[in-house]
Amino acid sequence: MSSDSRFVPLVLKTDTEPNMNRNFISSACKFLSLVFVFAFLNLTSNAQEISKEPAAISAGETLFNANCKACHRVKSKLVGPALQNVYDRAPSIDWIKSFVKNSSGVIASGDDYANKLYNEFNKTQMTAFSSFKDADIMNILAYIKAETEKVAVTQVPNGPVPPTGGGDGGVSKTYLDVILAGMLLILVLLLIILGFLVSALKRFLDQKELSEEEKEVVHSPITLGTVTSSSGFIFIVVFLAGALGFKAVINGLYSIGIQQGYAPKQPIAFSHKIHAGQLEIDCKYCHVGVMKGKSATIPSVNICMNCHNQIKEGQQTGTGEIAKITAAWENKKPIEWVRIHNLPDLAYFNHSQHVNVAGVECQTCHGPIETMDVVRQHSLLTMGWCIDCHRKTDVNTKGNAYYDKLVELHKEKSKTPMKVEDEGGLECAKCHY
Amino acid sequence: MRIVSTLFVAFSAAVVLTSCGAGGDNQGTEYAPNMYHSVAYEPYSQITDEDAGRWLTSIDYPDGHAEFYNSNKFNPYRMNMRESAPHTVARNKHGWLPYRLGKDSLAFAAANVKSPLDSTAAIIADGKVLYETYCDHCHGPKGKGDGKVAAGGIKVEVNGEQKERSIYAGVANLTSDALKGVSEGHIFHVITMGKGLMWSHGSQISPEDRWKIAKYVKTLQK
Repeated sequence: MSSDSRFVPLVLKTDTEPNMNRNFISSACKFLSLVFVFAFLNLTSNAQEISKEPAAISAGETLFNANCKACHRVKSKLVGPALQNVYDRAPSIDWIKSFVKNSSGVIASGDDYANKLYNEFNKTQMTAFSSFKDADIMNILAYIKAETEKVAVTQVPNGPVPPTGGGDGGVSKTYLDVILAGMLLILVLLLIILGFLVSALKRFLDQKELSEEEKEVVHSPITLGTVTSSSGFIFIVVFLAGALGFKAVINGLYSIGIQQGYAPKQPIAFSHKIHAGQLEIDCKYCHVGVMKGKSATIPSVNICMNCHNQIKEGQQTGTGEIAKITAAWENKKPIEWVRIHNLPDLAYFNHSQHVNVAGVECQTCHGPIETMDVVRQHSLLTMGWCIDCHRKTDVNTKGNAYYDKLVELHKEKSKTPMKVEDEGGLECAKCHY
Repeated sequence: MRIVSTLFVAFSAAVVLTSCGAGGDNQGTEYAPNMYHSVAYEPYSQITDEDAGRWLTSIDYPDGHAEFYNSNKFNPYRMNMRESAPHTVARNKHGWLPYRLGKDSLAFAAANVKSPLDSTAAIIADGKVLYETYCDHCHGPKGKGDGKVAAGGIKVEVNGEQKERSIYAGVANLTSDALKGVSEGHIFHVITMGKGLMWSHGSQISPEDRWKIAKYVKTLQK
C-alpha cells in the first residue's frame, strides 16, 4: 500500500539512533507502526470516501491556500477551528458540504452542531463558499486528511538568510591593508639602503686623510640621546603634534551644534532592519503623517498592535521587547520615544513638502534606515547641508500644474533644468521666519 | 619649555572639544540650547521636567518653571495634544462626516454604503500607490494574501538555532471566490473596522484614501 511506505520510514527516522545497535527495537517499531497504520485506515475507511490520490490532494491544497487559509489551519486554531479530523468530528460529510456552501443557512436551520460551533467562536460567521462544487470540497478534505495524517515531519532546515549589505566595505578594507603593507615594505627597504649608504660613506671617508675633529664627527655613535636632541627631530615632532592638535581643535569646534551620529537607546529596542528591511513594510504604513504634515509622526501603539496583537516573539530580542508594546496598549499609556532629529527652532522644516510634493526618498536624508537596528542621525542637518541639496536638486514638476507657469518662465531664461534654488529655495524667509 | 606648554594647552583643548560631537546616547554640545528646546509645543520634544534648563533661565515664568519646560500640566501624561471636544463632529475637506457604523454592521455596510468616488484611471492609480503602502506587505502585491509579513517561511538564526520568523497568520486572499464579489462598501468597512484577525486601519488611512484602495482592490479581484 502506498500509504504504508509513506509512514514507516518516518516512524523509523524518529525511533532509531545511528550509533546504536537496535535492530530488534527498530523492527518491533516497524511492526507496531504497521499495525497502527492498518488499524487507523480500518477505522477511518468506514466513515467516508475521501480520496488519497495525489492529484486530489494537490488540487485540495491549491483550493485550501486560496480560500481557507485566511481563517483555518489544519493543526492549529485561528479565526476558525483547526481542521484536522474534521471528517470524523462533524456529523457527516454531507453536513460539511452544506455548511461550507451556506453556513448561515445551516445555523439558521437550528442544527445543533452548527450552533454549538457558532457560539464557541464568538458568533463569527463563516463566509459562504457557494461557488464550491462537491468535488472541490472533497478535494479540500483529501488535503486536510493528508495533512492530518502527516506525522510531525522533521523540519527541513533552510540555510540562513544571506547577510545583506556590508559586503562592499570589506573589499576596500583588504585593498587598503595591501597598500599599507606595501608601503611599510618600501620604507623598510629604504632604511636598509640608507644603512648601506652610511657604512659605504664611512669607509670612503676613512680612506681619506681627516683631522681628529672630523674623525670624531664621522665616528660619533648614533644613540637615542643624540637623535632626540637633534634640532631636526624636535622640529618634526613639534610640527606633527601641532598639526594634529590644530586639526582636532577645528574638528571639535565644527561638531558643536551638530548631532550627526546621535543614536540614543529607545524605550523599546525597535529594529528598522527587520520591519523596513526584511519585511519590506512601507515607511508610510507606520509614519502616516509624512505625506500630510510637518512631522513624519511616530506610530501610535495601535499601529504597532495591528501586527503585534499576534506576533509576540521577535527574532533578536525574544518576547521581552514586544511585551512592552502589549503593556502600553493594555495600560493605555503612550510610549515615550526619544527624539533623534531635532532642528533648532530658528529653522522650519516640513516633511510633506519634501516627501509628497518633491518626491524625495526617506533614505536621501535618513540614510540606509532599512539596515539600522538602532536609528542614528545620518545627515548633518546643518544649513550648508540643506542649501547644498537645494542647489543640486531638480524640482519635481511632473504632473503638478502649480509649476507649469514657473517652468515656462524658467525656460525663457535658462537652458538647465529648474533647480530648487531657482524657485526661491535659497530665500532666507522660506525657512527662517 | 614654552613649546611644551603650548602643546599641552592645544591638546587639552582638542580633548575637551572632541567630547562635543554626538554619538550613541550622547546628543553632543548644543550651540544655542534655547533654540533646540522649543518653548512652543512641538511634536516628540515634550519636556516634563520643570527644572530643565534652569541654568540659562532669564525670565520669571509665572508658575516658576525653567526655560525648557513645555508641557501642559492639565492634560493626561502632561501631553500637549488633546482629543477633540465631546459632542463635536469633525468633517474633512470634502465635508464628509465621520464613518459611524459599528464593527458588527459589515453586512449593512456592504449593502448600503456606496463609494463617493468615480472609477477614473487617476483614482485607481492613486489606489494602487496606497495599496502598496498600507496593504501590500500582508495581502501581497496581487492580493493573494502572500505578502512578506503574511507568508513568512524565511528561516532566521536565533542564538545558533534555525527558527521560523514570526509571521502574521490568517491574512485573507482578496482574490478568493468568497471575497471576489464583495462590494466597495464591504472593503471600506473592513479597512475601517477590521475583520477576523485584521485590526482597524481607520486611524492610519483617511476615508478618501480608503475608498481609493477599495477601488483598486476591485481591479485586483477581476
